[in-house]
Amino acid sequence: MDLTFTPSETAFRDELRGWLADNDPGPEPHGDEHAHFAWRLDWQRRLAAAGWSGVHWPVEHGGRGATLTESAIFFEELANRRAPLPGNVLGLLLAGPTIMTWGDEAQRERHLGPILTGEEVWCQGFSEPDAGSDLAAVKTRAARDGDGWTITGQKVWTSYAHHARWCMLLARTDPASERHRGLTYFLLDMEQDGVEVVPLRQITGESHFNELFLDGARATDAQVLGGEGNGWRVAMTTLSNERSGLAFFHQVRMRQLVDALAAELAERGGLDDPRTADALADVAAQVEVLRLTAYRGLTRLERTGEPGPESALTKLMWSRANQALTQLAVDALGPDALTAGSRWSYELLRARGNTLEGGTTEILKNIAAQRVLGLPRAS
Amino acid sequence: MNFDLSEDQREIKRTARDLLADRCPPERVRAVAEGGGPDGALAAELAELGWPGIAIPAEHDGLGLGAVEAAALLEELGYALAGAPLLATAAAAFAIEGAGSDAQRAEWLPRLAAGSATATLGIAHGDVAALVADAEGADAIVLVQDGRARLLTAAEAEVSPLETIDPTRRYARVGAPPGAGEPLPGDPAAAVDRAAALAAAELVGVCQRALDDTVAYVGERRQFGRPIGSFQAVAHRCSDMLLAAESARSAAYFAAWSADADPDGLPFAAALAHSVAATSAREATASAIQAHGGVGFTWEADVHWLYKRAQVASRLFGSVGAARERIAGAVAARG
Ligand SMILES: Cc1cc2nc3c(=O)[nH]c(=O)nc-3n(C[C@H](O)[C@H](O)[C@H](O)COP(=O)(O)OP(=O)(O)OC[C@H]3O[C@@H](n4cnc5c(N)ncnc54)[C@H](O)[C@@H]3O)c2cc1C
Repeated sequence: MDLTFTPSETAFRDELRGWLADNDPGPEPHGDEHAHFAWRLDWQRRLAAAGWSGVHWPVEHGGRGATLTESAIFFEELANRRAPLPGNVLGLLLAGPTIMTWGDEAQRERHLGPILTGEEVWCQGFSEPDAGSDLAAVKTRAARDGDGWTITGQKVWTSYAHHARWCMLLARTDPASERHRGLTYFLLDMEQDGVEVVPLRQITGESHFNELFLDGARATDAQVLGGEGNGWRVAMTTLSNERSGLAFFHQVRMRQLVDALAAELAERGGLDDPRTADALADVAAQVEVLRLTAYRGLTRLERTGEPGPESALTKLMWSRANQALTQLAVDALGPDALTAGSRWSYELLRARGNTLEGGTTEILKNIAAQRVLGLPRAS
Repeated sequence: MNFDLSEDQREIKRTARDLLADRCPPERVRAVAEGGGPDGALAAELAELGWPGIAIPAEHDGLGLGAVEAAALLEELGYALAGAPLLATAAAAFAIEGAGSDAQRAEWLPRLAAGSATATLGIAHGDVAALVADAEGADAIVLVQDGRARLLTAAEAEVSPLETIDPTRRYARVGAPPGAGEPLPGDPAAAVDRAAALAAAELVGVCQRALDDTVAYVGERRQFGRPIGSFQAVAHRCSDMLLAAESARSAAYFAAWSADADPDGLPFAAALAHSVAATSAREATASAIQAHGGVGFTWEADVHWLYKRAQVASRLFGSVGAARERIAGAVAARG
């Protein structure tokens, strides 16, 4: 056990800090979602130009070949610098690694470069109106059509679809199939007739996710990833990458929120109230435990090489802690914090999504119970 | 960065788990609890193995290992609810080593390491420590009060046995007239933090035992024609217990590591470990009773010992509220 960083990890952090000190992401645009996304994409272009995009990707695919710990450091430092996540975060964390695992030479050649630079943004078309937690119930239909596929159906909650050039699409290719069988994973070109993106408004008022209507959209055989009928396994690769690294970004961001809250409370004398101080200690402890547990997970991952079901635990910790923290903030800071558009009211509302996105709390507890603890399934 | 036990540390843990499963099975815990006495035979055997001196420096005849090794061992002692006074002795040894004079170290540490003497540590207010583990029969008692420590021999301390709800270990109230005993010249604060880290590790073991026993039980017990563990409300309770156990483990190991490697970070880490382990252990052991149904509420089942240990041990080195106060203070100071 050694909770300090090795000289090479420290050198990595120092080099990154040096670069970040010279390269400011610039002021965060507020109130204009398109300007905000453009800001994040521009940030990714600059990261990529300096070789800081896809740090965890292997060098042969244009990445930096960084270790998992270095990748964690990368996300911590981005957050420390108050820099945003790169615009094409789903491409970097999900699509890219999935294509590296399952793609053929041509697919890797075609897609990995533009993912790194952010030139082509990706979205994830898994969830459907009738297939949310129960992803294997996907109904979107891809039918054989000459030397390609015609796709019809509906996806929902598709984050970034309105910016995306490509979509990781899970569709049913065998109409007689049920559940996990007969699904195929497509790299769907979003720029075509037959693909319609309709924004959905979130409880924060923003529109980050969308409905995605597919009506005769086309895909070629070359756009099938991992083979016909193998979609479930490919999708599992995507999902197992879903939480990688992000815990470290969130952990730092949450610590910043804890500190900001403590400072605001101190200014108003709020910490003199022992109930408030006690509640602050509780959320600060949760955030610290998240950090520590994420590092334990990283050590384990470095040893086993496989992201295990344990990653469900950090997601559970993160989402719970963020909801507790933001609730405490609006409780302790009073009505000011509940003003529409205020920072804390935004954080409070956004946090409600944390226990839904990337697997709901209930589903993650099922995973923990069955796959970590080995409890019997309901049959 | 490597946040896991080393192979050697895992080996200590495995050895302890196996040995205690054999020497300290539930029947033995029950015998200690119902017979009202500590497990002298077990204590003697553990002393043979050198366990009381695990973290005592080799120059004083201890094993000279670190707080992380001690934490791994304490976790297993907690898992077994062992009735041997290792936590108490380790806490006193931390104080004598960290705040004692050369003469005090030379007098006490070798005997504590050998198990030929036992000691304990209590936090006193107004010359009385309200809850001290294994004070009866201890050869030395360290009382920490207002940032200073003094060492009392058995004859100098007023030890009144306490009947707490946790009969798996003996507890007492310890008083000492002002001026009694000899002062330890140094600052005992770090020793108390190290003791808190080990107490937290012991509670990690309690959490893990509550979880393991519950998972086994709900996988076997059937109602409505199926194992109750297949009911989601029960399964989710188990997932929450897992979260509690892993949270406590992260915090306790962090504190143990800080005790060895990051003295500046230790006060925060110890407060974190105390607060998180206490909260987790109380929650996990309460859940264990609930998941066992009526059986869990009987004296005959063993889950209640875990609950009782969690309640009392959480208070050994101060209140959870005080630990939270320290965390809040640290957060306010860094902002
Ligand atoms: C901010 C945000 C961004 C998202 N981005 C994307 C995206 O980019 N791409 C994408 O594909 N999806 C995305 N999603 C969708 C997300 O993955 C789903 O919302 C989630 O999987 C839940 O599915 P659902 O909404 O259909 O809810 P449901 O599955 O209908 O769940 C409703 C409630 O029932 C509970 N429930 C369901 N099944 C069980 C069960 N077996 N046991 C216990 N409880 C159960 C759930 O936990 C939940 O509380 C996003 C969601 C959010 C909130």
